[in-house]
Amino acid sequence: MRPGFSPRGGRGGFGDRGGRGGFGDRGRGGRGGFGDRGRGGFRGRGGGSFRSPDGGGFRGRGGGRGGPRGRGGARGGFGAGRKVVVEPHRHEGVFICRGKEDALVTKNMVVGDSVYGEKRISVEEADVKTEYRAWNPFRSKLAAAILGGVDQIHIKPGSKVMYLGAASGTTVSHVSDIVGPEGLVYAVEFSHRSGRDLLNVAKKRTNIIPIIEDARHPHKYRMLVGMVDVIFADVAQPDQTRIVALNAHNFLKNGGHFVISIKANCIDSTAAPEAVFASEVKKMSSENMKPQEQLTLEPYERDHAVVVGIYRPPPKLKK
Amino acid sequence: MHNGHIHLATSVKLVHLTNTTLFEDNVLDESKLEQVDSLYKEFETPEKANKILKLKHFEKFQDTTEALAAATALTEGKIGKSLKKVLKKFVATEAHEQLAISDAKLGGVIKEKMELSCVHNSAVAELMRCIRGQMESLITGLPAKELSAMSLGLAHSLSRYKLKFSPDKVDTMIVQAICLLDDLDKELNNYVMRCREWYGWHFPELGKVVTDNMAYCKSVRKIGDRTNVAGSDLSDILPEEVEAEVKLAAEISMGTEVSEQDIGNIRHLCDQVIDITEYRTQLYDYLKNRMMAIAPNLTVMVGELVGARLISHAGSLLNLAKHPASTVQILGAEKALFRALKTRKDTPKYGLIYHASLVGQTSAKNKGKISRMLAAKAALAIRYDALGEDTNAEMGVENRAKLEVRLRHLEEKGIRRISGTGKAMAMADKYQHKSEVRVYDPSGDSTIPSTSKKRKFEEVEQAEEPVTPKVKSKKAKKQPVKEEEEEEAAAPEEMPKKKKKKRKVEEEPEEAKTEEEEVAVTESTKKKKKKKKTKDEEDE
Repeated sequence: MRPGFSPRGGRGGFGDRGGRGGFGDRGRGGRGGFGDRGRGGFRGRGGGSFRSPDGGGFRGRGGGRGGPRGRGGARGGFGAGRKVVVEPHRHEGVFICRGKEDALVTKNMVVGDSVYGEKRISVEEADVKTEYRAWNPFRSKLAAAILGGVDQIHIKPGSKVMYLGAASGTTVSHVSDIVGPEGLVYAVEFSHRSGRDLLNVAKKRTNIIPIIEDARHPHKYRMLVGMVDVIFADVAQPDQTRIVALNAHNFLKNGGHFVISIKANCIDSTAAPEAVFASEVKKMSSENMKPQEQLTLEPYERDHAVVVGIYRPPPKLKK
Repeated sequence: MHNGHIHLATSVKLVHLTNTTLFEDNVLDESKLEQVDSLYKEFETPEKANKILKLKHFEKFQDTTEALAAATALTEGKIGKSLKKVLKKFVATEAHEQLAISDAKLGGVIKEKMELSCVHNSAVAELMRCIRGQMESLITGLPAKELSAMSLGLAHSLSRYKLKFSPDKVDTMIVQAICLLDDLDKELNNYVMRCREWYGWHFPELGKVVTDNMAYCKSVRKIGDRTNVAGSDLSDILPEEVEAEVKLAAEISMGTEVSEQDIGNIRHLCDQVIDITEYRTQLYDYLKNRMMAIAPNLTVMVGELVGARLISHAGSLLNLAKHPASTVQILGAEKALFRALKTRKDTPKYGLIYHASLVGQTSAKNKGKISRMLAAKAALAIRYDALGEDTNAEMGVENRAKLEVRLRHLEEKGIRRISGTGKAMAMADKYQHKSEVRVYDPSGDSTIPSTSKKRKFEEVEQAEEPVTPKVKSKKAKKQPVKEEEEEEAAAPEEMPKKKKKKRKVEEEPEEAKTEEEEVAVTESTKKKKKKKKTKDEEDE
């Protein structure tokens, strides 16, 4: 019931603590003179007449508040020792962790390591211990798109992904988890400061190839990259469509897909976001990139959209 | 790693610069090339691809350093050594043959240097795509795993080269060096004190005569027992007169005798002191070099020692760059700062920056202003050093020059107008000599009536005297009394009486005078300043 207060469970006299729920908790916090907070020190609490005969009714309400706090701030879903269930997501390589709260997770390729301080969840099933890392949709556009219900991300285990705008490698690490040891992630980042962090991430994960170059000049890193299946772009530049197109012409296979995250403010801060998205989609179509779906990243980001499409679609066979 | 050259024999040679492989195409239908869009169909399967292109040459790099050098040359658009060799050896310079290349700039360079005509167009780009897609099959003897492993290795080394992990940009050295410097100073002081005290038992006068620590230790080491002083030559350690004093003092010293062992131990201690002192100077040089390498602008502005202390106080150069200029100004005076903030008094004006030469050379009044200005410019210099790309001291030198100009202006503040247009010279009033010659008014000297007023009193007196000698006006009484007093100036018995009267008498002429003055004032023009009036009154 209320795990933190199991000794109390039997004693009805403490139901009043629940009854005076709000006040009680504040009082408990305010007056530090309660030595034994978890259990009994309410006798000493001043103000007398709190004896409520209807302990049971109040108990439920108080318990909810008292429980977690009594544990000293156990986090929402995944406190130490909480039982959770991990089930696969519709997208291959992505999982959902179901507990008190649900979270999007990916399977950790480097067990025991946390890339940017995110939570790790260990699950044991049939003697196999697997570790998963929580994926924060507020920090990662791809996670926000998945949670937003994008139809296809095209990034699956074993695929080769080119990631433009890798920054410090937080989302790149999750993409690396998804593609697994068979796949490859080419992470392109121009900033030196972020590049250092990216290199550190790439040291641990051997399926990430770090490229510290300007994505506007793909010929500068042509010797490092083979043909890729998917291009993911999160560059936040006004000419990002052109950048993606250049890279696609050089490295994206025929029938390959692209996933572009568009920040309306970045392209044109004066125009309406919908207009910006529409103009970007038009630019894409002229470069032989056919957009297939578009979705906004509410509630995780404001005025952001993700466009998924196919490059050089194979011609439809006419029957 | 591999670079790839692909060249087609008939009329077009393709240089595909991703790997050093050279392909040759025997049979090429030019029309196929023109249909750029459908070219990929020819490369859909490995067999088809092999029909069109044949591997001519595959050059493997010896190790990652060679690969790295070649790769960096490519990114910069220059021809690396290995590429040059391959091109010379295997690409025959036939007039009608061309080299297809994916980087137009590189193509231009190759054309210049090696006289090979290069081509780059959309057809070439398309061909490159296809080749890239079929890389595995076209290049025999290279499994995919190895390919990706090689790419990974090259990517890491290239990135590291890009990020320029250079060891002399590490600022931990500075922090450690300055802490060591402080530690050394403390230790040195302790040792020298101990040495003086210890040797002072044997030869106390030496300590008083030789004040410099290094000289003391050196002389102790040379002398040993004080009986050797006469025979030893201390001219290279001490100046002449000091040496003479030492020799003299040695004769009449009142210290105790000590054994050889004791002298030996003291000598060891002196050796230690001298070694540490020498090391300290070396360390200081090292610190100066490091500072100049890591933060040249800051060094130029505030000096090496102050700069190093600032960095060490903040923890690292990047941390120091995050502080605003006002914090840089009072770094090091935290105790005074918070005490002043708590008791609502004035906060300190300078911290570690006080020891910068610019602040040291100003007068006490302007130290606060200079400290603020210096902190502002120094903060800019710090940020430039910590976060800027190139390392030169131009900015620091410029800023320092600006500060020195401003310092000079501050020093000669009085000549320039402070408010209004700063450039205008303050107007100096034409000097007019207002000579105040105040003539002494002798009317107060004698009691002989000389003015009308006094005559008036006397008339009154004379009038009253015959009537009632007792009923005298105050003044009449006083005047003969005054005369008496003046005659008997030093009569002690009547002193108290006289004093009283004197006081009264003195008051009298004052009153009379002031009355006169008042009259005079009212009579005179109104131009008389209050100051003068009060002055006169004071004088009276």
